[in-house]
Amino acid sequence: MVVSVRSWVANEGGKHLVLMLWLGANTWLFVKTFLLYSTGQQYYYLYKMLGLGLCISRASASVLNLNCSLVLLPMCRSLLTFFRGTHTVSSRKTRRLLDKSKTFHVACGVAICIFSVVHVSAHLANVVNFSVSFSDDFPALNLARYRGEMFSLRLPCSLIGCFSSVPGVTGVLLVLILFLMFTSASNYEIFWYTHNLFIVFYIILMVHMVGGALKYQTNIMAHPPGCFRMNQSSSAEQGEELKQHEDGERRCREEAHFQPHYPQTWLWVSAPLCLYCAERFYRYIRSSDPVTIVTIIKHPCDVMELRMLKKNFQARPGQYILLNCPGVSSFENHPFTLTTCPTENKETFGIHLRVVGDWTERFTQLLLPQPKIDVEVLPVVQQRRYPNDGWTGFRLQRLYFVWVCRELQSFYWFAELLCALHHKVSTKDIEKYGPLASRLQVGRPRWKLLLDEIGRANKQKRVGVFCCGPKGISRTLHRLCNSACSSGTTFEFNKESFS
Amino acid sequence: MGKIEWAMWANEQALASGLILLTGGIVGVAGQFRGWQFAAYGVAAGVFVCLLEYPRGKRSKGTSVARTGQYCFTVCVKAFGPLTRNYYVRAFLHAAICVPGGFMLATVLGCVCLGIASLIYLAAAIRGEHWEPILPRTETQRKPVPPSIKNPPSNPPPRPPPEMRRKRVDDLEGAAYDNPIPVTANEY
Repeated sequence: MVVSVRSWVANEGGKHLVLMLWLGANTWLFVKTFLLYSTGQQYYYLYKMLGLGLCISRASASVLNLNCSLVLLPMCRSLLTFFRGTHTVSSRKTRRLLDKSKTFHVACGVAICIFSVVHVSAHLANVVNFSVSFSDDFPALNLARYRGEMFSLRLPCSLIGCFSSVPGVTGVLLVLILFLMFTSASNYEIFWYTHNLFIVFYIILMVHMVGGALKYQTNIMAHPPGCFRMNQSSSAEQGEELKQHEDGERRCREEAHFQPHYPQTWLWVSAPLCLYCAERFYRYIRSSDPVTIVTIIKHPCDVMELRMLKKNFQARPGQYILLNCPGVSSFENHPFTLTTCPTENKETFGIHLRVVGDWTERFTQLLLPQPKIDVEVLPVVQQRRYPNDGWTGFRLQRLYFVWVCRELQSFYWFAELLCALHHKVSTKDIEKYGPLASRLQVGRPRWKLLLDEIGRANKQKRVGVFCCGPKGISRTLHRLCNSACSSGTTFEFNKESFS
Repeated sequence: MGKIEWAMWANEQALASGLILLTGGIVGVAGQFRGWQFAAYGVAAGVFVCLLEYPRGKRSKGTSVARTGQYCFTVCVKAFGPLTRNYYVRAFLHAAICVPGGFMLATVLGCVCLGIASLIYLAAAIRGEHWEPILPRTETQRKPVPPSIKNPPSNPPPRPPPEMRRKRVDDLEGAAYDNPIPVTANEY
């Protein structure tokens, strides 16, 4: 499959632009901090003592600051939904970029992991260099208590040294928390519980630099770094140097004064953290309103349809909700795409859920009585009206719905909806909606042929492809959307993701 | 929820700990610090833990996703039989491996992380989990074709004796014979 430049730019361009900007920001910050510590006058003596370890540790620390602040922003889902909904602020391109927020979060997370490793390794080298290059001239600069104290990094000496300082203790705790947090989603519950340690991580991060070991010189004017000092140790050299520096070379007017840095991480991190905490609080307030389950319909192949009612609930087609059932698990929230949205006439909204894992199994056990009977339960409200308005503001011209099912019985899940739609379209609103054609085929769909056919019918237009399915289909469709199409149609690929 | 498979989590954490131990060991050796022997041990122990933990075990419930290229590691780990199958053994092994790492600052983080992984393995072992290898499914046996179809028939079809088969143009009526098998039209 030949990749078409236009299709690739339409599908991948925005993402790669953001990636380049992010990489550029990280690189610039790293290089800037590195140069500051290697060439800055206030770090002259410290750099002489510690060398490259100083620059690498501080540069990686500033990259860590940036990524720790950015990593929270994609997780403010209500805020992103708000941005996505406002037409004035966001165009379709921006909305498609917002769909990739979880990918950005993962990228920042990976950067945090990598630079943590770099940061810790550089500080290990610093610990040794503090001891090896113990400075007799500037005792205030030292971390070690005497030369050779932590020469070998062997415990318990280095452990005492490490744990006697706030940065040491907090550093070890931060690594341990990161270690626990970065389990992959092999088990969703473990992932959820360990990932919520982030708040502990951030609190410890903000006090990590208190009582820091790295100091900068405060009086550069009075004591230019490298200046000649009158009380040098060797008297034999003094005579020589006096002659050399006779003609008004810089002389130290006073001793060098050093001061540790104030913690700066809170400057980077506090705003996103407050924003995210406000977001979680807002979600909690919104979720405290109870939801009434109005209808439960059992469909074939272990699928249940749930119709619910909630006060002041608004949703648009394509959005998803997070269900939490305290009777099953107090902390787990599971996403489900809405299959019925509330409209002005009908306030109920619905989802279809398939019993796959233990949460859904337990949930359906609570909903349905034993033994399982194929009847509707709790028919409090039997509304079957489907929306015939509410479709304003959409420039949809044609809709191709491709539905792949393993078993024929799966079609019963939406049988009513499809029949009602067919009935409505074929009887009264044919001028408004156009003819409805359907095709049933057995076997895997041949996506290339299908997309070619759609392309031929929609030449030079933009076709949005929305894929909800397993990775195999998603990858194939993504590749096809990026490849060249002879009819000049651009296929914009979108994937359902619960970010 | 009670259905957590602790061994899956322990496996991830142990693999990460192996990498942390390995990295700490490399830093310790590269810096040529005194006591670099502990760092060298860290490198070896880290590599060993990574090799042991790389092949993911099979989930007791649900689909197991194998790591890329883990088949040869699975075979090696499976060869040790009950030593690698039992999670008590793994828990104590990791606890023992992590102890020497605690003597040097460069490897102490790896030591603590491996200790945590060892505790999670202990929890998995107490819950009765054990390691099952993920092996590729053997091709399902096709229904065996009856051997009689494969070879051409060894015997000729039944025929009447030669004197009846000889062409007897003078006696056409007598030349005809009854077919032992009834001849019917082809039915599709």
